[in-house]
Amino acid sequence: MSDTKLTNKRNVVASDSATSNTFYVKPKQQQKVVEQVVEAPVITEDPSIHAPVYTRPVGSAYKAPKKKRPLSLSGKKALSGWLFCLPFVLGVIGIYLPMVIKSIEVSFHGPTGNDPFSFETYKAVYLESEFTVTVVDAIRDLIIQIPAIVIFSLFMAIILNQKMTGRALFRAIFFLPVILSTGIIDAILDQTAASDMPGGAGMDEGTGDAAASDGFMSALDMEMLLSNINLRFTLFGTTFDLVEIVTNLVNQIFNIVSHSGVQMLIFLSGLQSISPSIYESCQVEGASAWETFWKITLPMISPMILVNAVYTVVDLFTSADNRVMKGLAGYGGLFRQPGNFSAGIWVYTLLALVVIVIVALLLRTIVFYQRKD
Amino acid sequence: METVKVKKESKNKIKVDFERAPLSVRIRQKFFSLNFLKNVVFKIFRTVLLIGIAFVILFPYIKIILKSIMSVSDMKDATVVLITKAPTFDQYWYILTQNGYLKAFITTFIVSFSVALIQTLVCALVAYGLAKFKFKGNTIIFGLVIMTLMIPQEALKNSMASYFRQITMVETTLNPISFLFKALQDWTGIFENGYGFSDSIIPLFILSIFGLGFKNGLFIFMLRQFFKGVPDELEESAFVDGSSTVRTFFSIILPISIPMLITVFIFAFSWQWTDDFYTTIFIGEGSNLSFMSSINAIPEKISKDIMYEAEAIRNAYRAAIAGTAGILIALPLIIMYMFLQRRIVEGVERSGIVG
Repeated sequence: MSDTKLTNKRNVVASDSATSNTFYVKPKQQQKVVEQVVEAPVITEDPSIHAPVYTRPVGSAYKAPKKKRPLSLSGKKALSGWLFCLPFVLGVIGIYLPMVIKSIEVSFHGPTGNDPFSFETYKAVYLESEFTVTVVDAIRDLIIQIPAIVIFSLFMAIILNQKMTGRALFRAIFFLPVILSTGIIDAILDQTAASDMPGGAGMDEGTGDAAASDGFMSALDMEMLLSNINLRFTLFGTTFDLVEIVTNLVNQIFNIVSHSGVQMLIFLSGLQSISPSIYESCQVEGASAWETFWKITLPMISPMILVNAVYTVVDLFTSADNRVMKGLAGYGGLFRQPGNFSAGIWVYTLLALVVIVIVALLLRTIVFYQRKD
Repeated sequence: METVKVKKESKNKIKVDFERAPLSVRIRQKFFSLNFLKNVVFKIFRTVLLIGIAFVILFPYIKIILKSIMSVSDMKDATVVLITKAPTFDQYWYILTQNGYLKAFITTFIVSFSVALIQTLVCALVAYGLAKFKFKGNTIIFGLVIMTLMIPQEALKNSMASYFRQITMVETTLNPISFLFKALQDWTGIFENGYGFSDSIIPLFILSIFGLGFKNGLFIFMLRQFFKGVPDELEESAFVDGSSTVRTFFSIILPISIPMLITVFIFAFSWQWTDDFYTTIFIGEGSNLSFMSSINAIPEKISKDIMYEAEAIRNAYRAAIAGTAGILIALPLIIMYMFLQRRIVEGVERSGIVG
């Protein structure tokens, strides 16, 4: 040990702290320190003596002759990572971002998209009361529909995960809307539903009742039953009537069911990934099914709740059967013009992003990530 | 020790007689316990719920099917609600013969199949790159994937149409793709109008090749989660054996992820099959390409027939025609789904979307 200290003192290069550390290390590591110290004088040498003097322009730094080094493993991996992502990156740079920028740009240049820079279109969109009312209504509906869809799909996924007769058939039926409730078929379903509403089969039933009885539960019946219960609360200036919310949810059951197919699939995959041994040990410890659900299933599935909630917002906001989307396609004069159309849709997208961020932040607090060993 | 009496013995079977509780006791124990009651109540509740919701899902389709075989006289009749009195297959016949169903079917099938194939492959490539390689910009690319999912496609409707119509006119200095097409135009002059695509399905393929098709962000996300669950040891052993990353991907990773790829393929295929957004943007009215979305028009013959009927009946008949077209559009999908739906659940179950 003293020997090491001596060498260190002889070539005073290493810092004091390094020498002081060497007192308490094992012999093997001591050797390392010694080696470092011996090498040290090479570093302190003036590098200029190696350089060919005649080629060096005055003032330039010395550069060692370039040796072609093969790419390190991590460098290679990074390169192949870029290679795999190349199609998407090229597409985003070359196609997607130009389209997005063009679309935003159009909204800032007047209703026709050819005027000088102005906020005119946004002003027009803001002043179009029908649009703002629809957007606010749509967001209010969304706040109710997100939990409904997430809870419903979790519930159905748990049931469809149990062993029973006809499970394959039920699964097939429940996931049918995933492939069928898009695009043209969705539009056709809407059209047939709309043609049933006025007149049609129930022409003789009068006015109010006919419309109400078209739902699965008559909203009027419910309201009469619960009218004495005053379940209203006000939040951010809008009044939420609990009775109305419940009747709306029941009447929208088809909408909710047809929008929860992908969510059900995601939950099902999450349920499958929970190790059965956890449930087994719970059973051995004497936990009831109720406790098992709250203590095991829910925490284990919580990452999927976040994923599903965000996906639900995206799906509801961007689906074509959304009220605002329909409105943008339908409001006569104002949104025919490309500038106003873009302005309206970007305002709407921005609001959607705000909702997504809020939902994600709220749910992040309850998410539990299982540590992988 | 129990005494076991052998009643009958043969080569394969042995029948023994042992002491057991009498039948009445056994029945009482099995059927008159609280546990059994709970079980039965739960099972009844579950079955009723499942059948009820299955009915909610299927009812609109059932209604459309029932209305599709109604004749005009049924629609006039107020007593007919769902079950027809004079069934007819006229509506099917008109759509099949007059609306060019077969032609639309072939076009849509070819386009959907190839688009879905391209999208599945490209999304798998991108997802694999995002899931298995650590590099600078990984998170940024993933963020861009999520962004493409979040921006509603309607927002890009106008700019998408104008972009592809004038693809060679876009600022080419910074844009590799536009540069490519400009070079292609200068070299071959393939664009008839000199600028870009009009009334052509090629833009759809271009979008698919670059992973920007309908909901491709979702596919990339699903596949990324799946690939994250694939153990690294698999690739490491392939690497040690001297396989390149590309070869590992095609000969090891893709084969083991077939259930997931089938799921993505089914989604891509059926969403393209029922698509009425991209086809209306890229294909104008005058084009001779026809897709599934264009077969729900009212055939001329019928519109003449119902011209003098009341407004409500005309509307009902129009809805019935649209519904019939919907059945004919959905039928191939449902047949495909019946064969492959097991794979959907299997694929997603294995995806391990747990973050």
